[in-house]
Amino acid sequence: VTWETKLTLTPIARRAIYGHMMTSRLFDEECAARLQRGEPLPHYHSGVGQEALMVAPVASLRPEDRIIYTHRGYGHLMAKGVSPREIAHDLLMKVGGTNLGLGGVMHVHRPDLGVMGREGVFGTRFGLAAGFGLASKLRGEDTVTLCFYGEAAGARGLLYEALNMCKLWRLPVVFVAENNGWSFTSRTEWLYPSPRMSDAWKGFVPVQVVDGNDVEEVWAATDEAVERARSGGGPTVVEGMTYRLAPHIWFDDAGYQPAEEVERRRKDDPLPRFRGRLLELGEDTADLERVEAAARHDVSEAWSSADAARLATWDDTPWLVKA
Amino acid sequence: MTIDVATAQMTGRQALNHTLRLEMRRSDQVLVMGETVRHVGAAGVTADLFGEFPDRVIETPVSENAIIGSALGLALEGFVPVVEIYCADFMLAIANELINDIPKWRQQQRRSGPLPLVIRACMGATAGLGPEHSQSMEPYLHHAPGLTVITPGTPSDMAGLLRASIRGGEPVVLLEHRKVYDATGPVDTDPDFMVPIGRAETVLDGDRVTLVAWGWMRHLAEQAAEQLIGEGISVELIDPRTVRPMDWSTVLESVARTRRLVVVEEAPVTGSVAAEVVARVAEAGLGEVTCRRVTMPDAIHPYSATMEAELLPTVASITTAVRAVLA
Repeated sequence: VTWETKLTLTPIARRAIYGHMMTSRLFDEECAARLQRGEPLPHYHSGVGQEALMVAPVASLRPEDRIIYTHRGYGHLMAKGVSPREIAHDLLMKVGGTNLGLGGVMHVHRPDLGVMGREGVFGTRFGLAAGFGLASKLRGEDTVTLCFYGEAAGARGLLYEALNMCKLWRLPVVFVAENNGWSFTSRTEWLYPSPRMSDAWKGFVPVQVVDGNDVEEVWAATDEAVERARSGGGPTVVEGMTYRLAPHIWFDDAGYQPAEEVERRRKDDPLPRFRGRLLELGEDTADLERVEAAARHDVSEAWSSADAARLATWDDTPWLVKA
Repeated sequence: MTIDVATAQMTGRQALNHTLRLEMRRSDQVLVMGETVRHVGAAGVTADLFGEFPDRVIETPVSENAIIGSALGLALEGFVPVVEIYCADFMLAIANELINDIPKWRQQQRRSGPLPLVIRACMGATAGLGPEHSQSMEPYLHHAPGLTVITPGTPSDMAGLLRASIRGGEPVVLLEHRKVYDATGPVDTDPDFMVPIGRAETVLDGDRVTLVAWGWMRHLAEQAAEQLIGEGISVELIDPRTVRPMDWSTVLESVARTRRLVVVEEAPVTGSVAAEVVARVAEAGLGEVTCRRVTMPDAIHPYSATMEAELLPTVASITTAVRAVLA
């Protein structure tokens, strides 16, 4: 999908967002089914419940814009153009992925799509984002970097260092805080005072807190932030309030997450919510079913391809880094 | 055909400044970043660069993690950042980027192509700067696969290795001993003059004992060797110049002949680079080899320069060690 700059979310963009959200959801559901069967999925982190916040911000980007994705969920990657097939291959450390078992799903890498890679210890992303922003500025380009982050990275001091640099040099970087209520077994409110992740930045840079499960609200806030960045207005922090409906990581049973809380928050699931909104806006059920069928097809093709592929070995890749 | 090689006498500081200036003129992708670089930088190396390259000499806040992280971002975008970390000891504050991210980046991401990123810092015990501003950092860094660690000992090597680092397309850490900034020596002024990374220099040829020393220690070892040669002891002095990757063949070939090895290092003895040199020699199957390490003991630098001097290698401690391996 090629996104185009627009004043409002066009029907084509809305449908594309819905398609990526659905692909991300079905991909996670397949992962959950595999875990249920006892199959290992190392480094898998479910994005279920956070699809609106992962996908809608990317809708404002151009192909050459950069994203720094989080470990949780694959909607950001899919919306930027990475195929579910590559992600499945990387998850299983198979040939046919982006890194041949050297980085797995934690280091999906498609610089041609503006997916520049990801750090292993959360936090370096903020310095990287400032660096990508500085590169745009030095070249006189208007490329924007969208930097997603969660509660873990956002608690590190590097975010302050990078925000300071981005503000000081008016760098085109948008920071998207994914506040999903949990940081592994810790509640966000045990880690952040308000419990908002962005309160500390109010008065320092533009901050907007939005309903992270409302596609249109997320899109409007991030679109404004992206345009501000692109036109030389510097950084923005957009915090999306969402909820982690699935366990933290593949080996987690989330026994610490009260079941009734999860059930209550499931009523706010962004997928049925956005589907309902699309119908309200006059979308045709048959059209949405076509989008859903395409997503199902892509996910199913991705996993059959990954299952059929063989594990990557050292023979598949030159030793890139000299010891 | 004769090739004219113009040389000029320069201090180490001037050699680095001269090289940075020429490299920035040669390529507009080369950036200088760091704290106080707009004035002269931590030790005078970036003097007068801002005037000529106001867009490419980037004065940063005191935010080491963001400096090094943004430099990685710039390198991924095709720039050649030359980052000055204010003091080599502060590399421990950016160890995550320096060890977890930068050397691993291309492998984890399976990214092909160069990753040019030069990280320079002043270093070394220099008259009482205290325990967090005096450490020799090469033992901490030489353990990290994927990182190149350079410890130039002369103005010529500072110029030639900096240029080779800028053009080399690899992440490189240049550890610049403060005392070498003030040392004077001839520097080849050819704008393409480079010293190959990973190649040792045999400073003195000899056959009874091999002395290995780098950075400022090379100068102490040279003085010790002159004294010993005056006494009729033939000393081979090797300056590896790059501690990672180390030029093992030059070291091993020398020790295979002399069967006696003294390694001089300013850092504390445990886990030192010298320990790795001795281990490699021991594993090389050279037969009986007598080894000594002349290092700082496992101690913390005091602020008092007088007390610190008692901990550091000296010409006398080097000659004593050489005599011991010859005994």
